[in-house]
Order: sequence, then C-alpha cells, then structure tokens
Amino acid sequence: MIKRKEVLADLQTRFKKEITDIFDKSPHRVYIDIPPSALVPMSRYIFQDLGARFNIASGVDTRSHIEILYHFTIEDINLLISLRVRLNRQKPVIASLTTVCEAANWIEREIHELLGVDFTGHPDLRRLLLSDQWPDKVYPLRRDYKEWDKGAVRDRGVK
Amino acid sequence: MGITTKALLKSLWVFHLSTGSCNNCDIEVLDCLTPRFDVERFGIKLVGSIRHADVLLVTGSCNRKSAERLVKLYKEAPQPCLVVAIGECSLSRGIFIPSYNCPRPLDKLVPVSAYIPGCPPKPEAIISGIVKLIQKVKGK
Repeated sequence: MIKRKEVLADLQTRFKKEITDIFDKSPHRVYIDIPPSALVPMSRYIFQDLGARFNIASGVDTRSHIEILYHFTIEDINLLISLRVRLNRQKPVIASLTTVCEAANWIEREIHELLGVDFTGHPDLRRLLLSDQWPDKVYPLRRDYKEWDKGAVRDRGVK
Repeated sequence: MGITTKALLKSLWVFHLSTGSCNNCDIEVLDCLTPRFDVERFGIKLVGSIRHADVLLVTGSCNRKSAERLVKLYKEAPQPCLVVAIGECSLSRGIFIPSYNCPRPLDKLVPVSAYIPGCPPKPEAIISGIVKLIQKVKGK
C-alpha cells in the first residue's frame, strides 16, 4: 500500500513546476498551492491514478483573490489533500473539473452563483440554489455584496 | 363562542412546515407527539396536507424560496387557519437576520397567532404556547 510520504514525494516530483507551495498541516491534512492552469492535470492524476475521492470544493473571497479549495481524500492512508487555487477577483475564470469527475458539477454551479466564478467547459452552468427573483451578476458571498432588495426588513421590530 | 370556533378548538389538526430550519425545532415538535408528552391525548395531531389542517406550524427562518411556498400554503389552508411560529428563527430569524437569503420575517408574510420563542423551545413551552393560543381564540 502506498504511504503518505510516498504520495507527497510523488506529487512533488511529478508536478515540480506547478506546485508553488505545500503546507503540511497535520498527519491527515495537506494544502497544495497551484496556479489555475495546473488544476485539471493535477486533479486528474490525484483522482484517477492515486484513487482519491473528490470530497467537495469550497470557495472563499479573500480580500486579494477569490480562492477555491478542491478537497480530495485518499481513504487508504486517511489523507485529505486540498488543492488551493487563487483567482483574479476582477475576472475569476477557471477550467471546470467536470471533465475529470462528474461530482464536481453541482458544487461548481453553486460556486458560480454565490461567488461569480466562471467555470469554462462546464456542461450546464445554470443557477442551483438561489431563488428566481435573484438579480443577475449579484454574488452574495462576495465581500463587496450590497443589499439589492428594497423590501428587506433588517430589524426585529423592537425599539 | 360559535360552532365553528368550538369545532376548531376541540381537536387542532396541525400541518408542520419547515422553512429552512436546522431541524432542531422540528425534533422538539416531534417530541411533543411521542409518548412522553403525547399531545394526541388532546386531539392535536399532525396531518399530511394543509387542506386538512387547522394550524400551520412554522419553523425556520423563511428564506426566499420557502417564503413563496409558505404564502401559497397559507392561501390553500381552510379558514380560519391559525399560524404558530416556533423557535427564534421563525420569530425574528435569529442569527440569520442579516442573511442575504432571509429578507422578511414570518409575521410580515402571513398573520401569526402565537409565538413560541426558544432555540429550540422545550416541548413544555410548545404545549404551553398551544394552550395559550386556545385560550386566546376562546376569548378568555
């Protein structure tokens, strides 16, 4: 069975040019920083060759970038690998992961509507969770989100 | 007290609607129906359709999608329909008050007859709230 050390050494040699930083957080957790262009080949290797499971992706609007973390688990060695990509806040575009694994479909739709990230090559980038009245190009999880609904009540009705 | 009010209060049939709650209030509502509290002794029972219900029991913070459905359900209910808000979320939206997805509280959408606060309210509090609601409708 492949060991944790071997997996990390293998990734480091194979993707030497792409990996910008590795943060070895704990025995069960490692963060790997990569540029957006390296996402698809690297996750294809982790998903198909290392036999990892695609857990979820999570998007955050940090002040400087829009950051997406793709979490993969290798269950045999109990290791969670998070691939971290940083996107330009003005124009967040990244290749879709649906070509590698079908399970990325819905989470990419969710990140698209909540953070406004454009996933190129996604088969069906419709709205997933927000209501039909929600205006276009308004992304609620962005830091610069402003309330658009004039009828919203934001007090508890007590003085 | 007219015949309709008397018939209404004799046995309250409840339709339980969760408008995006964390399910904790829903568990407490179910707890009222289990043998320990057993509100069915008093003729209170859950029904599967709003058209059979006298009471619309609402938990959760009324998000944009479920608020539409809540108003629709209230219109479908046979009148008089009493609305009971259970838990802090349906009273004032609790910690979700600044949320982009919870623009309006329950009592701005439909008229509410009873408020039962708590996060979640205890089964005792829910039963006490229902007793107060019955007394209020009776006019005592």
